[in-house]
Amino acid sequence: MSNNETNKKSRLQEGLQATNEFNQPVKGTSLYKDAWRRLKKNKMAIAGLVIVIIYSLLSLFAPILPIYSYKEQQMDHIHLPPSFGQTAGEQMMERKITELTTLAAKEGRVEWTKEDEQHIEQAVEEAREKFTDPSSAGGESLTRKEKDAIADVERQITRERRDIAVQEGRVNLNEEEKAELEALRERIANETEIIDGEEEKIHERTYLFGTDYLGRDMVARTIWGGQMSIAIGLIGGITSVFIGLFFGAIAGYVGGKTDYIIMRIVDIMYSMPYMMLVIILMALFGRSIILMFLALSLVSWLTVARVVRGQIISLKNSEYVEAARSMGAGSARIIFRHLVPNTFGIIIVYTTLRIPVFIQMEAFLSFLGLGISAPYASWGSLIGDAVEGMRAYPWRLFFPAVAMTIFLFAMNFLGDGLRDAFDPQSKNKL
Amino acid sequence: MTKYIIRRLIGLIPTLFIVVTISFFLIRIAPGGPFDAERRPPEQVMKNIQAKFHLDDPLHVQYLRYMGDIVRGDLGPSFRYQDHDVNYYIANSLPNSLLLGFIALGMALLLGVNAGIVSALNQNSWIDYVAMAIAIIGITVPLFVIGPVLMYFFALRWDILPTSGWITGRYGWVTIIMPAVTLAMQPFATIARLSRASMLEMLRSDFIRTAQSKGLRDSVIIRRHVLKGSLLPVVSYVGPAFASIVTGSVVVEQIFRVPGLGRFFVQSALNRDYTLIMGTVIVYSVILVLMNFIVDIIYSFLDPRITYK
Repeated sequence: MSNNETNKKSRLQEGLQATNEFNQPVKGTSLYKDAWRRLKKNKMAIAGLVIVIIYSLLSLFAPILPIYSYKEQQMDHIHLPPSFGQTAGEQMMERKITELTTLAAKEGRVEWTKEDEQHIEQAVEEAREKFTDPSSAGGESLTRKEKDAIADVERQITRERRDIAVQEGRVNLNEEEKAELEALRERIANETEIIDGEEEKIHERTYLFGTDYLGRDMVARTIWGGQMSIAIGLIGGITSVFIGLFFGAIAGYVGGKTDYIIMRIVDIMYSMPYMMLVIILMALFGRSIILMFLALSLVSWLTVARVVRGQIISLKNSEYVEAARSMGAGSARIIFRHLVPNTFGIIIVYTTLRIPVFIQMEAFLSFLGLGISAPYASWGSLIGDAVEGMRAYPWRLFFPAVAMTIFLFAMNFLGDGLRDAFDPQSKNKL
Repeated sequence: MTKYIIRRLIGLIPTLFIVVTISFFLIRIAPGGPFDAERRPPEQVMKNIQAKFHLDDPLHVQYLRYMGDIVRGDLGPSFRYQDHDVNYYIANSLPNSLLLGFIALGMALLLGVNAGIVSALNQNSWIDYVAMAIAIIGITVPLFVIGPVLMYFFALRWDILPTSGWITGRYGWVTIIMPAVTLAMQPFATIARLSRASMLEMLRSDFIRTAQSKGLRDSVIIRRHVLKGSLLPVVSYVGPAFASIVTGSVVVEQIFRVPGLGRFFVQSALNRDYTLIMGTVIVYSVILVLMNFIVDIIYSFLDPRITYK
């Protein structure tokens, strides 16, 4: 004892400097420093970290970003395709012109050129040659079927040439239609709307990601949807890890009957089709965010509980815990003061790995129409809404899907990197 | 051994019992009932309907009656679709779902194990990188993104495959390709990574080195010694893989309009069709639990370290 005390004293005199066996001062490294050093070497994980930070900043500052509102509906701007530079007004104008000229062309008001006529004539001639059977001796009248076939060819080529004429603007619009176009041009140039107390020329907007079926800006919806998804992932991930931590720690430390009961509950819940129960829950009790958190957290703490329990069991017989116990520390103090902090590495890793899972589960529910409801959006609900009109409006599917995929990739690389950093000998490389 | 199997089979009953009980009471305490239409029928008619379906009994009586019915294999009449009972709808849609699920599982296993083996044997070659890149895509990209994207390119853009339909329809068997691939993606990715990791671990182990030093040919070592050991983790993953396929099928059946059980699932819950939801939940649970059970039995056959107590 006295030996120990002198030792301590001399250490104090040295200013608590730790030394190695050659009496050289060494700097102590903590678990976190060590992990950070390893993480820095992992390029994919750092790339993931950077992307996650960018996404988090975008979501955090979504309210003050220079983007349009995510819920403001512009009936004139429904389903505008993505554009760089071209304003909404120009897109509207173009759409109207195409609509009117197509209509006019169908009514036959096309300025046919020589080229068109030649093309049509040639195609009809070819068809006639093809259908005139050599054995039936030229000059004899064609059968009705053959005549129909030739007429089909003619109609087909005329339609093709007409589309070209529409594209080239060789269509005569009547006065009424021209007036309509002029009125639209006028309206686009002058119409304003008061948004947030400021007068804004709404048709001068540019929609980088296009608009949705209610004329809402997809840039704003993708960012706000991302905010919702990330928030759900973060809160859900943390909640489920804490529930798992709580039960895992108790089961691991107390052992015996308590352990048995908790782990049997975990086993039974594992073998249940819990996503099915969550779907039923959401469908029956209506779409509320709180309920969704509850339902998802309830089913997703199981893995964490198992891992924490294993860790605690291996730690609880270590000397420092015995020392704490011999000094009279209570169970609660030992668990939450001594054991749980030692599982923080695992917990950080699991929280990072839980977040993408949570985002996916939420998106799964939203895709089925059971998650986030209008006017709010999440990546899942945006994708779910977009699937119906995918053929005509692919951008509505494309942007949220890409945004979500990039984030999930980044989270996964970061999570894998963190696991390798905190637990280099990890066996569960999955 | 038989004793062990029987004991395990009996062990499944509590899980099923808990699932059925939880869903039964969840469904009953939810607001709204199956007959709360926009236009309510007269009071007396309503009473008659409720009496016909025994909805006017106390809850515990309903519960006991329902339990009695399902033990006899009767899932009751549907509350929404009047033509047939729940057994009929399930008997008609379950085979389609099962077919899709097993094809997806088979694809995931076959391709996943092979990709894992090839990657492990050619570690750090381009094959390895390509296979693992696909695996990472499969793990991170959710299936409700993969499905629509596949559909957009293969059906709408390039017009190679039909957008939707089923094998009994006019397009025949090609209709199953996209839903099966979508469903198989995630389990495929996990299986490929699992088998690669365990294969690499096996290749570095001592008994393999012993076999090599004794002069055994590489092909024999891999076939006899490495494969068997490294497939064990894959076998134990088949249970969870099937669970993810079953859950995923709810979405995939909706995207590709497959006439399976999944499409009843969400709709019946929204409709408050008590018996149809219960029916689907029970069928899903039985399939999942049985699948886990079979996998466990196979696993205990393959792994000599497991003893039957």
